[in-house]
Amino acid sequence: MNPATEPNTQNTRPGRTFAPKVDILETEAGLRLWAEMPGVDENAIEVELVDGVLSLRGRVATAEYDNLEPLYTEYGVGNFETRFRLSNAIDGERIQAKLRNGVLELELPKVAAAKPRKIEIAA
Amino acid sequence: MALFTFSRELDPVNALFRLQNELERVFQSPRGLEGGLLGRGVHPPVNLFRQDGDVVIRIEVPGFAPEDLSIESRGQTLSVGGKRSQEPAAEGAYHRRERVAGEFSRSIQLPRDVDPSQAAASCKHGVLTVRVPARAEVKPRQIAVTAQ
Repeated sequence: MNPATEPNTQNTRPGRTFAPKVDILETEAGLRLWAEMPGVDENAIEVELVDGVLSLRGRVATAEYDNLEPLYTEYGVGNFETRFRLSNAIDGERIQAKLRNGVLELELPKVAAAKPRKIEIAA
Repeated sequence: MALFTFSRELDPVNALFRLQNELERVFQSPRGLEGGLLGRGVHPPVNLFRQDGDVVIRIEVPGFAPEDLSIESRGQTLSVGGKRSQEPAAEGAYHRRERVAGEFSRSIQLPRDVDPSQAAASCKHGVLTVRVPARAEVKPRQIAVTAQ
């Protein structure tokens, strides 16, 4: 886990925000993105594309930690947030998101014009 | 006029930047200096809590389905392991690769007042929770006072 990517923007409530671990793969069809957000429910995730900036936000249910007294802790728990600047080649209308086992999977297809196109050579 | 030119390996300015980046990463990581100067410790990290005498273990295992996880108790040691079912190899170029691949295994020594053989585990949204109940004999027992 990494610290928040925007240290100047603070939350009004206490609690840490982490940047999720992310894999980004570019294929001919577009981008695929995996963001690890363990402990986040589907209803607590926000995926937004505004002005070419993709924002991912996930809130962790802190109620699960009520009444638990820490004995030995190796990691901190907190919400997740990160942003990516996407190129115009990505079709914002066709982005698909899926949450599986705490991993947010995004499909970011390229606009048709951006896909590589083979140009036939006339004899 | 440059009197000295440093090769990239010996460049003191570059080396200073690299040291600074490494130190920044260590201090910004939530685990700080644990696990060595490079900030990489054992994976995945675990949290242990107490609740009403029970020990509750939480491990973040994103990407693992409950069937990918195995938990074994032996004496006071609990071993947790996992193997991610392979994601189909994708054709393409990675822009970024931060997720740690595949398998893990961790052993946790539990205090004597809990019974690992009675542990119960559940996994939801990539968080594994194992509850190890307190031993019956350790729970406080009321002793009645009879009048004589």
